[in-house]
Amino acid sequence: MSMRQSILQNIRDDIVHTLRWPIRVAEDVQKTIIGLREGRVTYRDVATTALASLSALVFVVLLMFPVYWVINSSIAAGTPAANLYSQGIFASPAEWNLESYGWLWGESDFFFEDGYPGGGAGFGEIWNAFLASNLANSLRLSIPTVVFSFLLIVPGAYTLSRHEFTGRKPLLYGYVMLTQVGGGLNIAALIALYVVFNAAGLTNSHLALAMFYAAGAVPFNTWLLKTFMDNIPESYTEAALVDGASRRRIVWEVILPLTKPGLAVVLIFTFLAGWNEFIVAQLMLSADSHPLSVGLYSLVDERATPWSQFAAYALTYATPVALIYFFSQRYVESGLSFGGMEG
Amino acid sequence: MSLSSDSIDRSWLKDRLPSSEDKAGALVLPGLLAYTGFMLFPLFYLFFLSFTSAQAPEDLINNTWTFIALDNYLNLIQETQFWQSMGITWLFVFCSMTMKIGFSIFVALVLTHERVKGKRYMRAIVIIPLGLPGIFKITIWRSIFSNARFGLANTLYMNTMETLGQSPEPIQWLANRWLAFASYVVTELWLAYPFMVIIIVSALQDVSGELHDAAKVDGAGYLHRFVHVTLPAIKRPVWFASILTAAASFQQFLVPYVFNEGGPARNNELILVYGYREAFVRTPQNMALASAIMFSALIFIAMFMWINVKKGRLADGVQNA
Repeated sequence: MSMRQSILQNIRDDIVHTLRWPIRVAEDVQKTIIGLREGRVTYRDVATTALASLSALVFVVLLMFPVYWVINSSIAAGTPAANLYSQGIFASPAEWNLESYGWLWGESDFFFEDGYPGGGAGFGEIWNAFLASNLANSLRLSIPTVVFSFLLIVPGAYTLSRHEFTGRKPLLYGYVMLTQVGGGLNIAALIALYVVFNAAGLTNSHLALAMFYAAGAVPFNTWLLKTFMDNIPESYTEAALVDGASRRRIVWEVILPLTKPGLAVVLIFTFLAGWNEFIVAQLMLSADSHPLSVGLYSLVDERATPWSQFAAYALTYATPVALIYFFSQRYVESGLSFGGMEG
Repeated sequence: MSLSSDSIDRSWLKDRLPSSEDKAGALVLPGLLAYTGFMLFPLFYLFFLSFTSAQAPEDLINNTWTFIALDNYLNLIQETQFWQSMGITWLFVFCSMTMKIGFSIFVALVLTHERVKGKRYMRAIVIIPLGLPGIFKITIWRSIFSNARFGLANTLYMNTMETLGQSPEPIQWLANRWLAFASYVVTELWLAYPFMVIIIVSALQDVSGELHDAAKVDGAGYLHRFVHVTLPAIKRPVWFASILTAAASFQQFLVPYVFNEGGPARNNELILVYGYREAFVRTPQNMALASAIMFSALIFIAMFMWINVKKGRLADGVQNA
């Protein structure tokens, strides 16, 4: 099964599982009713469970309230709720509309520079407007970040997992340490980085920035991928060796295919590294090279921008990431509970 | 032990010559070199910069700087803003860490409780913030703590007060020192709790049910069982996660920067914001002083991590790697 197929399969399973929840609830209710009739379950039990579940649900809803608020605001253009300074924080469902998404498509820099060029525009004009958009700039950062990351991370993870070379232990140890101190390093190093980029004339280069993101992603992702590769039994590669396969073929045809879930996680993480980063991008890139993260922040600064348009921009920027995360959750969770947690 | 053993000498040499395994080890070099070039080299350069008098980037490009040894650091320790920043940063770490631990354990306990139905879905929902871009979350929370009349926090406050029969003015959340600080802490809590919850939930699922049942038979109440059975079992993962998120809190930059640039009046300037301001916002720029600030922050965080790694044996996982 190819990687694409296996990912699609997983997504399909998740969706099917999610859609089947009414059936599971119905089964549960049925079981409870039978239990009540036969006296195995008391009414008190049922009431406690219902109350506990309900309170937990209320709690979860409260926790996610900010997200709901943004969603509501994004479909509230023209209503009082579309502005933080006028009456009301929620638009009534009767007033919901998609105007701010129209603005996003037709006027903002999100998809096209200054919005969709309109009916009379030829394909070339539309394409050029897209190339100057925040979205195109984000892709110019994210895609090279993924490519560079794979070139840097996969060979390293493979050799760390399969070879016992001099300096392996200290290197692993160092990588783990650096994943933990990692976060703020780039802000602290920003000053030096700014000077170096300036001196090398790279300040407005998406490629240089992508290289920087990829380098920053090395310790954590190498470590993560190595733990995935460690789980491939040595006997598989030995069997291939006996069959006369070369080292290279073993890597391509045995190890990498079996590491697919790990590769998918690295793909997601490194893509998001380029997609989410804000500070360095804001400092290094000039206005017409700004990605979506910087575009979003520049909206906050303008008081004139209505809240509903900001909400629409913010949500459209965040939704793909949230979806990717949601469907890769099981891998991400298994990645987060990696070694060192036990004991 | 024999004194005349050539064989030992030869194996000593052989051990130190590159083996075929070492050649395979060269595959880590691309990653290692890139990391060194883009991350470690700037840090060394930062260290070097902190000993110079460089003000603007042009000083460095045109080589118009002088070596002034520790002057930047000496200036820094006499600067009240530096100690103010350090103090508020550690206070921020302390407050957000205690809140994170307490809150995350609470969320994890609720969402693993046997009485709660559908907890798998609820868990999937509560960790949503983990999958949203940082700048998205932070700008949204800035709108929540907006000084405007209909920011979420103000609406909540006004409605509460009105039900109590009063008619107050909206609060200027970000213009008051401690309210702004509190808003940082609440935001940081919302940003970081999903990570802790994931770790605590997976730790809770390893807590043996038998121990709980045994404690129940012995007549231990919920609180007792929590303190004597659950807590010891999840202590280490929680500790581990706390250290990681504390390190992240220490390096928090976006929240103060986006909210009000460490305001009001530089009162809440967390250490990295302070360094950033000296380097990029203030005119005239002072790259060298900013480097000294950033480097001091790094020393503090490295010390914090080192102590915790030593005391808490955080890196034990590496040994069986």
